[in-house]
Amino acid sequence: MAANPSQETNLPSQTALMWDVIVIGGGVVGCAITRRFALAGAKTLLLERGGDILSGASKANSAILHTGFDAPPDSLELACMQAGYREYLDINERLNLPVLKTGALVVAWNDAQLAQLDGILTKAHNNGVNDARMIGQTALLSREPNLSRDALAAVEVPGEYVIDPWSAPLAYLTQAVGAGAQYRFDTEVLSGEFDGSFWQLSAAGQTFAGRFVINCTGTNGDNIEQICRKPAFEIRPRKGQFLVYDKTAAGLINSIILPVPTPTTKGVVLTRTAFGNLLLGPTAEEQEDRWNAPVERDILQGLIEKGVSMLPDLPQHEITATYAGLRPATQFKDYQISAEAGKNWVGVNGIRSTGLTAALGIAAHVEHLLMETFPGITRFGPAKTPTWPRMPMLAEAEPRAYQQGDGSEIICHCERVTRREIEQAMSGVVPAESLGGLRRRTRVMMGRCNGFYCSARVAELSSKGKISPPLAEDRDQ
Amino acid sequence: MSGFDCDVAIIGAGPSGIAAATALSKAGVRDIVVYEREAEIGGIPRHIHHPTFGLLVFKRPISGTKFIKALLKRCSNVRFETNTTVTALRAGGVLDIAAPDGNRRIRARHIILATGARETPRHPRLISGLRPIGVTTTGALQQFLYGARLRPFRRAVIVGTELVSFTALCTLRKAGIKPVAMIEENRRITAYRPLVLFARLMGVPIYTNTRITGISGREVLNQITVESPGSGTRHVDCDGLIFSGNFVGENTIARTSHLQHNQSTQIPQTDQNWLSSDPAISVIGNALHPADMGDQCYQEGLIAGTFVADLLVEKVSPTGAIMIVNHDATIKMTTPNIVRQQGDGDVRLNISLHVTRPYTGPISVTCGEQILYLKTRRCMPARRITLKNIKLTASQFETMSDLRISLGKPH
Ligand SMILES: Cc1cc2nc3c(=O)[nH]c(=O)nc-3n(C[C@H](O)[C@H](O)[C@H](O)COP(=O)(O)OP(=O)(O)OC[C@H]3O[C@@H](n4cnc5c(N)ncnc54)[C@H](O)[C@@H]3O)c2cc1C
Ligand SMILES: Cc1cc2nc3c(=O)[nH]c(=O)nc-3n(C[C@H](O)[C@H](O)[C@H](O)COP(=O)(O)OP(=O)(O)OC[C@H]3O[C@@H](n4cnc5c(N)ncnc54)[C@H](O)[C@@H]3O)c2cc1C
Repeated sequence: MAANPSQETNLPSQTALMWDVIVIGGGVVGCAITRRFALAGAKTLLLERGGDILSGASKANSAILHTGFDAPPDSLELACMQAGYREYLDINERLNLPVLKTGALVVAWNDAQLAQLDGILTKAHNNGVNDARMIGQTALLSREPNLSRDALAAVEVPGEYVIDPWSAPLAYLTQAVGAGAQYRFDTEVLSGEFDGSFWQLSAAGQTFAGRFVINCTGTNGDNIEQICRKPAFEIRPRKGQFLVYDKTAAGLINSIILPVPTPTTKGVVLTRTAFGNLLLGPTAEEQEDRWNAPVERDILQGLIEKGVSMLPDLPQHEITATYAGLRPATQFKDYQISAEAGKNWVGVNGIRSTGLTAALGIAAHVEHLLMETFPGITRFGPAKTPTWPRMPMLAEAEPRAYQQGDGSEIICHCERVTRREIEQAMSGVVPAESLGGLRRRTRVMMGRCNGFYCSARVAELSSKGKISPPLAEDRDQ
Repeated sequence: MSGFDCDVAIIGAGPSGIAAATALSKAGVRDIVVYEREAEIGGIPRHIHHPTFGLLVFKRPISGTKFIKALLKRCSNVRFETNTTVTALRAGGVLDIAAPDGNRRIRARHIILATGARETPRHPRLISGLRPIGVTTTGALQQFLYGARLRPFRRAVIVGTELVSFTALCTLRKAGIKPVAMIEENRRITAYRPLVLFARLMGVPIYTNTRITGISGREVLNQITVESPGSGTRHVDCDGLIFSGNFVGENTIARTSHLQHNQSTQIPQTDQNWLSSDPAISVIGNALHPADMGDQCYQEGLIAGTFVADLLVEKVSPTGAIMIVNHDATIKMTTPNIVRQQGDGDVRLNISLHVTRPYTGPISVTCGEQILYLKTRRCMPARRITLKNIKLTASQFETMSDLRISLGKPH
């Protein structure tokens, strides 16, 4: 990519290149924050290291929209989750984002867990989740007839839902771009200088100048904090591995099946996905590596055993995918969100295991924090009247493009993705520029055959877009 | 109930679907339509350029593409609709269809499922590692090279040593991709042993008794890790990794339909005349027995199609008592997996099966205390073994509900 010569000069006086807010990191949190500031009228730029948004924790989670019933009381996490939850349900229809109103059941599988249910219920009520209630074994098994008979009782939390974890952040960024925000992929921030009024961030051989910087770099959060200050926390990546079962398995459960949590983890969950699959996971494994989250056969086999103990019919269903995500955890339980007065910097870190839910709430909190910490200098342009981009609907329960007849053939047979959907994903407001980006925007190659039927067609189609690295080269070269 | 849109709707235009259409047409059935979701007719052979077809049907080896051309010459008065996906199968002969020119629901007097088989890819095999670009299957590789004329990588490792794994080797060679190694979990290769020589002549090592334990590369594959009891852990540099063989039926629409399935294999219940639990639906080809040779699927499709033609003119009756064919876990699947009595007579049939590991010894078919078949056989995985001339009497149908096939002497 040839750099614009004017961008190579470091002069902040070039107002055309001056941003009000630069967000580092395009996870779900960075996308929500970019949206928030763009709509508030700030000239906002998002810089992302990967070839697409969601290159970190946000690409691999359980996709549950949590009520906060089991969050630490009076925590910032709880407040952001509940605000995020409300805002998501307020805007999702306008953005054409799905919500699967499954509810959840926290199931006790032995007497020790049974004894904990009362405490869980009380905590839920204290957290304002007032519709949570206890259900006994008979009611539990009649609602979930495929659960093992070892299930003793449950706390029902009707408000726990499932969403599309990829379309939601994409919608946030798309809406932000509609309000004038910009983004750069393959742009890793390496260093920065603050001159008292402006930040100069160096990334991908360029300098980006902005008045405020918001660090949303997930598992890289403590390193990037160093640009501004000594971080008050340390990132301790915690891996979670998952198995995805084929669509035939989704009917095995109605609600999200949650375990009774231990102090360190929410434990292994069974949930339907928005895409009509059944998800089993995650694990919770501390590791050093901040970037790579490989799956491990032994651990997956352990997960399967765990899954079968809850759902004995599971082995009748095909496994379609395995994946792992890294939670940006710290030594602390709560989020690590703070502003550095005098340095125009906000760190949004340690968004451990609830960030998909909380993102919109975190964004509102950060805007507030910025206004409070830097009164006087936080004046932006006039607030924007939001446009409401409608995202392609990928949820199994909603009408998909192939069902509405979009005039093109199905390319990915397992996930029933049409040619037009693929073409549109490469030409939208935030087009896919990597295979991962294309998969998350369309579900292409995500099904049971792992691309046996469609990957060559996808490679062919993607050669017409800007997909990098390319899936293949011309054979005759 | 009337108002059929066609006499027979066939789903899938691979060798078995083409065969059924050919037989039906020859038998005088007029209104036959074949739905094919790909842009081209032919199923798997359409992107196989090696002479691994034709021996049974044409008595000479020909390539998959030529095989299909030759088969289509024998097939007339059949309507093929490509780019057309059957998205749901319903009772009463109803199909939901998605096509670029619009979606519709049609009703056929009889439906034949000929949806074929695919390979087991990376994820269901629970392979450890990252998820870079470059991890694929033989079928996908062949489509890259021959369909799209694209080269997905330069140096590839093949996982598996079935016949299809060696066709992957040829495919790589032809395309100028370096085959780095072949990897086999078992002590010996799955295909015929002389193929070891073939790989050796090409300079490609076969690591037997070896498991793949890691996949590296953040965006693009750059290395795999393998482990064997003899040589410990090794790293192999490659940018392509091909999971070959270990076939599974592509039974998606059957699985979500009203059809009954075999409890252990999840393959649709299908009787000796290829009728499913719904007698207005047949299941044929490699959807049923992943994976026999294309020629075998073609021959089966001809017989199954002829049976459907007879059924439509009520020469045969689809109703009768049913027995389930149960089997040991070392048997991958049997065809048929149910037996249906015709009227109130006896039934004579052949049963084919595949094993999951090499076995030489007695195979028995029993019905309660009675031994219906007992012979010593030599069985290799990924090859069809046929147990011939098994007889079930009317009184067995009255008193018993299942058969059992065991590797070993009957108890
Ligand atoms: C196993 C698991 C299950 C989960 N389940 C749920 C759930 O069910 N519900 C829920 O609400 N939450 C869940 N979460 C939590 C949620 O996924 C995270 O809280 C959220 O994704 C964190 O988002 P983030 O934007 O802070 O971080 P990330 O998504 O990690 O984003 C950080 C981004 O910053 C980029 N970056 C890093 N360094 C730089 C740099 N120097 N320059 C530019 N860019 C950089 C990275 O590439 C990355 O894209 C789960 C998480 C995991 C791992
Ligand atoms: C990678 C690979 C390599 C092989 N190599 C050889 C070889 O070299 N020699 C050999 O003899 N055999 C080979 N085989 C075995 C092969 O399965 C058979 O040769 C033969 O193709 C089976 O015929 P079929 O008609 O049952 O299925 P297929 O040939 O698989 O045809 C099934 C057709 O059904 C279509 N279909 C599926 N679902 C739908 C739907 N819902 N709607 C519309 N259409 C649908 C598919 O698109 C496909 O075209 C190979 C198999 C694989 C997977």
